[in-house]
Amino acid sequence: MRLLLVEDNVSLADELTASLQRLGYAVDWLADGRDAVYQGASEPYDLIVLDLGLPGIPGLEVLQQWRAGGLVTPVLILTARGSWADRIEGLKAGADDYLSKPFHPEELQLRIQALLRRARGLANQPTLDAAGLQLDEGRQCVSREGEDVQLTAAEFRLLRYFMLHPQQILSKSHLAEHLYNGETERDSNVLEVHVNHLRRKLGRSVIETHRGQGYRFGGALP
Amino acid sequence: MKSIQSRLSLGLVVMLVVVGLGLAQVSLWLFEVGLHRYLESGLRKESENLLMALVQGQNGVELDQRRISAAYNRQFSGYYFRIDFDGKSWRSRSLWDTELPRPETAGLHDGLELGPEGQQLLVLRADYRRQGQAISISVAQDYTPMRDGFRRMQQVGLGLGLLALVMVLILQRLIVKRSLRPLERSREQIAQLQQGKRTQLDSEVPSELEPLVAQINHLLAHTEDSLRRSRNALGNLGHALKTPLAVLLSLASSERLRESPELAAQLREQLEQIQQRLSRELNRARLAGDALPGAHFDCDVELPGLLSTLGMIHGDGLLIRRDAPVGLSLPWDREDLLELLGNLLDNACKWADSEVCLGIRQTPDSYLLWVDDDGPGIPADARQGVLERGARLDEQVAGHGLGLGIVRDIVEAWHGRVDLRESPQGGLRVHVELPRRAGR
Repeated sequence: MRLLLVEDNVSLADELTASLQRLGYAVDWLADGRDAVYQGASEPYDLIVLDLGLPGIPGLEVLQQWRAGGLVTPVLILTARGSWADRIEGLKAGADDYLSKPFHPEELQLRIQALLRRARGLANQPTLDAAGLQLDEGRQCVSREGEDVQLTAAEFRLLRYFMLHPQQILSKSHLAEHLYNGETERDSNVLEVHVNHLRRKLGRSVIETHRGQGYRFGGALP
Repeated sequence: MKSIQSRLSLGLVVMLVVVGLGLAQVSLWLFEVGLHRYLESGLRKESENLLMALVQGQNGVELDQRRISAAYNRQFSGYYFRIDFDGKSWRSRSLWDTELPRPETAGLHDGLELGPEGQQLLVLRADYRRQGQAISISVAQDYTPMRDGFRRMQQVGLGLGLLALVMVLILQRLIVKRSLRPLERSREQIAQLQQGKRTQLDSEVPSELEPLVAQINHLLAHTEDSLRRSRNALGNLGHALKTPLAVLLSLASSERLRESPELAAQLREQLEQIQQRLSRELNRARLAGDALPGAHFDCDVELPGLLSTLGMIHGDGLLIRRDAPVGLSLPWDREDLLELLGNLLDNACKWADSEVCLGIRQTPDSYLLWVDDDGPGIPADARQGVLERGARLDEQVAGHGLGLGIVRDIVEAWHGRVDLRESPQGGLRVHVELPRRAGR
């Protein structure tokens, strides 16, 4: 899952980036509204965390421009202006959720998790269920038939993306775009290695290879 | 305070009645005096004629019947005389068998009543001296027809005066109404202002009203402006404080403090207190309260946005209903009311199982707002405690506590009342009663 964080306070952005990365999200950080308008619309983000008090262009205007341009990525607004009038205005501009500062880091994480699932049309349950697997995003481990399977950070990230997009053929470049932020060097061989690790831990049939197209998760299971 | 119109009318009526009656009385008196004088000269001539008619006959002094007017011989003709001389007293035949008393003194006398017809007589007594003999001649004339005419004239005058008074009053009313129309318009505009239908008074007014209207407009603009500025400043202050707080909160729960969990816990606790205090105080300071006369909250416009926002925050599984009359407008600031309803509904959504209902009703002297949920509710004996917990800043807890604290602040600023009840669905009902403001 790749997130865009638009926040002009450097310390907060550093903290948030670090904590989000720990949770297995690939995070791109921008501090200026003008950059955000462009990059938010051009890169394939799964979710955007947007602060409203931005230099350049105010956050609300950035959001309006995105929505006017047809961007459907879920947007979570992060702002110090927590009044209900402001919240309504934000959601009217096209935000999907609203979190006012200061907030607990866990709350932000839960909201992001819920938004990502909602965007995929999934119910907000404690675990992410797909293809007979239950993924606990808090503990970063997966269980199959009641049995816990430990995952590395990279495997967790990959599996989560697969489980949020079951039955879909995902190309390597698509996966790379959504699993790594803009600064990471993308090596498709690394992806192959992680897919193989997942197959070894969860069974070969969990991820099918469609030659020339990409991978499909949970295809063999009902 | 009485209206200017009725004061002017009253003043004018009193003045017109006093002056009109005074004038009428004086002119009648003058007229009567003139008439008396005229009649006196006639009577004096009559008395001189009678004196001339006294001739020396065979038996001494006689009255020459040929030289006196025929009216003195006709019974109760209205013309009478009496001649007193030498101990004798002659009366005119017209007196018939009644006596015309001789006035005590010479000159004109009125008010004498005589005869079966009750004639009012005007009597003139003139004293002469002829051939060494004192002759006193009293001549009388019936004054009744003139008095009757006089009375008629008085009545006609009174009628005309009343008619004129009524006309003057109608005209005055029209004129006053015309000249007070700008005042009336300003009054209507102030009423509109209070209903939230306008934000400024029309400045096209007569020069007398101009300073007043300009001052009101200035005050309105100033209040609105200072409210906006203070809200802006508070927003900036909030922003300036809340972002660092968010950083600190994030730091307090970061990996780096994993080694010393006690320190992390203390940090978090203190930061949480700062955060709650800060948001409560900032919210309290943001309240417009009663400052804006034109503030109003259009339920049909604002509620759908608020409810869909809540629906978005709390997910699709929750049904949020509203039960408010169409076209209802509440006379309070939009942001304040959104804050009140937002907090009430947010709380309800947190606790509800599947349904939240917002109800608004208007009563003759207040507005009633209630929010129902179908959650676990609060036992009756614990409800007061929940409300009081919200009231004390240092005892706030998240959930019902903090949200209700802000609700209480807002409701108190509007002199209203909050109480907790049981909802029909078995959960909690937060019931708010807001008294109407004067003039709304």
